[in-house]
Amino acid sequence: MDTPQKVPVSILTGFLGSGKTTLLNRILSEEHGKRIAVIENEYGEVGIDQALVIDADEEIFEMSNGCICCTVRGDLIRVLGNLMKRRDKFDYVLVETTGLADPGPVAQTFFMDDEIRAEFSLDGIVTLVDAAHVEQQLGRSDESTEQIAFADVLVLNKTDLVNDEALDKLEARLRDMNRMAQVVRSERADVSVDTVLNLSAFDLDQVLERRPTFLEPEYPFEWTGVYSLDMGRYELSLADGPDPAMSLVVVSGQGVDDAALREGAEWCVRRYAEPAELIRPGEQIPVAKHVNLQLDSLGRKSFFLDVDTRVRLGLYAQHTAEEFDLELTNADGTTIKQEAERTWVAQHEHDDEVGSIAIERDGDVDPERLNAWLSELLRERGVDIFRMKGFISLAGESHRFVFQGVHMLFDGQPDSPWGDSPRRNQLVFIGRNLDEKVMRQGFEACLI
Amino acid sequence: MPDLNIDGPQAGLRQGWSAAVGDYAIAGGWTLSGEALVVGDAAGGIYVFDGKSGATVWAFPGIHEGGVLAMAIHPSGTAFATAGQDGRILIWGAAEGKVSRAIDVGSGWVENVAWSPDGQWLAASCSRQVRAYGADGAEVWRSDDHPSTISAIAWSSAEELATACYGRVTFFDASSGEHRQKLEWKGSLVSMALSPDGDIVACGSQDNSVHFWRRSTEQDSMMSGYPGKPSALAFDHTGTLLATGGGEAVTVWSFQGGGPEGTRPGVLELHVQPVTTLAFAPRGMRLASAARDGAIVVWLLQGGGRGSPVGTARMADLVANLYWRPDGRALAALDARGDVTVWRIDSRHDRS
Repeated sequence: MDTPQKVPVSILTGFLGSGKTTLLNRILSEEHGKRIAVIENEYGEVGIDQALVIDADEEIFEMSNGCICCTVRGDLIRVLGNLMKRRDKFDYVLVETTGLADPGPVAQTFFMDDEIRAEFSLDGIVTLVDAAHVEQQLGRSDESTEQIAFADVLVLNKTDLVNDEALDKLEARLRDMNRMAQVVRSERADVSVDTVLNLSAFDLDQVLERRPTFLEPEYPFEWTGVYSLDMGRYELSLADGPDPAMSLVVVSGQGVDDAALREGAEWCVRRYAEPAELIRPGEQIPVAKHVNLQLDSLGRKSFFLDVDTRVRLGLYAQHTAEEFDLELTNADGTTIKQEAERTWVAQHEHDDEVGSIAIERDGDVDPERLNAWLSELLRERGVDIFRMKGFISLAGESHRFVFQGVHMLFDGQPDSPWGDSPRRNQLVFIGRNLDEKVMRQGFEACLI
Repeated sequence: MPDLNIDGPQAGLRQGWSAAVGDYAIAGGWTLSGEALVVGDAAGGIYVFDGKSGATVWAFPGIHEGGVLAMAIHPSGTAFATAGQDGRILIWGAAEGKVSRAIDVGSGWVENVAWSPDGQWLAASCSRQVRAYGADGAEVWRSDDHPSTISAIAWSSAEELATACYGRVTFFDASSGEHRQKLEWKGSLVSMALSPDGDIVACGSQDNSVHFWRRSTEQDSMMSGYPGKPSALAFDHTGTLLATGGGEAVTVWSFQGGGPEGTRPGVLELHVQPVTTLAFAPRGMRLASAARDGAIVVWLLQGGGRGSPVGTARMADLVANLYWRPDGRALAALDARGDVTVWRIDSRHDRS
């Protein structure tokens, strides 16, 4: 008998009104050549010919042992059990949950039920967030918080209804809660199908290949301004501010949309990791280099930027323009207004109960101590740990060990060899009221 | 273990005819005293094959839009009921190959149908409701909503129907629909088998255990430790042996004496993939089991639940169901590719 490939399943969550149905319709109507079966818990008006749409009432089945990670969704087991009998009719399954659904039992269904596990693989959890209303929802319901905590992809939708500053702040808050998820912004759920399908977020064979790091970066800069400049010499001036120095990277050929800013940011993260060149007032700022502007003298300080051809420059600054009253003027003394601006402020308020703990350490780990630590952690805090992911450098092993989990369900295996690359560890936990200090100490005690 | 191998000579099973339906073969049954075999498929087709030759007698592809979900043969063998994702029940005359009655249950899937042992009632479940119909197809009563979708139904006698769902088994009076008994247990009951006298209720549970109750004493027990969920369950005709799947082994519990509590079950090991279906022969001690890889084993059991394989065979894909011919001398297998094969049973080994 052939061993057929498992059918990938994406889970689509999000509060009522966040745009799930719009996104679903988008995915179903796009020409991607996939035959998609849809399981809906909220009966919408999705009526796409190529899709097999099945309505099912949410049925949450708890087990007599009371274990939260054994709780599964009975309706999914039943519907998927019937779907797999017609597996030649579709290539992909999308499960759309109700706005109030807890994603835990949905995800666990794919690990706890042996028959479902044999035929289907959980591909990823996509959560739609209504940018205009999520702040209220987060204050009021555990479900919206958990939907964000469980997500592999957060689609920040309806961005047209919110100003940029509020959006940046919201994104920072969501990132604090879930540092594992990719954040995508959209107006009318107009994201490309690739961002929500074929994520392989639970596939340990692929997870490192697709994302060499599980952590979405915390940017070392707070502000970006994009300026459209003609040839000439420009003066960048800063007033007294909170710090005696400020790091900066200037990017040439910067775009103005969100994707371009993000791309620039990724590139600048790597520049920021390089040693900074100290630049004193009156000196010229080189492009594409990590520089550290020296601001310890009193009064307004000027630096110079030479532009030899018409270009858009992106200034990725350690602090916001406001803090130092940053200004760019041309040779005539005219102030140049930025064409685009965004802040990357990681607000670090941590007032949410749900948050991410990311541990990154070089070196090797003692397998026995790690096992003891993780077992105890999951036994005691498994209920509060929604997701975890990571890779570990086990002492004496030539390959990276990758793992992931949902509550107490833990799955790990060897991955690619270390070769000459430096041996290090990266772990991300997303959970409720996790004690970062205790967890860090716990992991550090496992290091050799 | 005797020198029997799943891929070895098909001792005890002689291959008869093979046929095919249009899609995954979901359910079936022998009609007209074994003269015909009915099969329903995932594409909603109903097919009838000649019991001796396997020739297609008639075929109705796609009659249940969305797919067939359940089938029940009337105890007389002259009629049968089919149900599907189209929310309909069809009652057929077995000899004529005609629908004698079509019942629109609703918009949900009709997942279970069962005739009462005397053939007077037809029960069907759709979502959280169970309904009872007279033999003519007229609705007699319908239940309130259960706590979850009904996973299984079975008649404990001609007068009483049982349903299983998340958290409970409920018994209904056949003529009035009134509750007679409720057995509760916090767990998702995925399958149900009743002993022939209706006293023992066994349910496979989502948490990889088998839960059972003795109704007369209201005693209940749980058998845990299965590697998978025991969706396949079968009582032998005497009601003393309960065969259960839930893994690669077939586990047989004996209700003789004080058992099965505190006893060791018979463990029948030969399958290398999880067991998908189990069927006891109408009489005697033969048990047929089949697995995800298409392997079929016929076992001869002893009183305590131990046993040995007496025949093996193989289908091309996962075996969905096995049906013994009413005379116990042939076994039909339905698989996930839509293949249907019938074996004749060599009864040399039968000592019962």
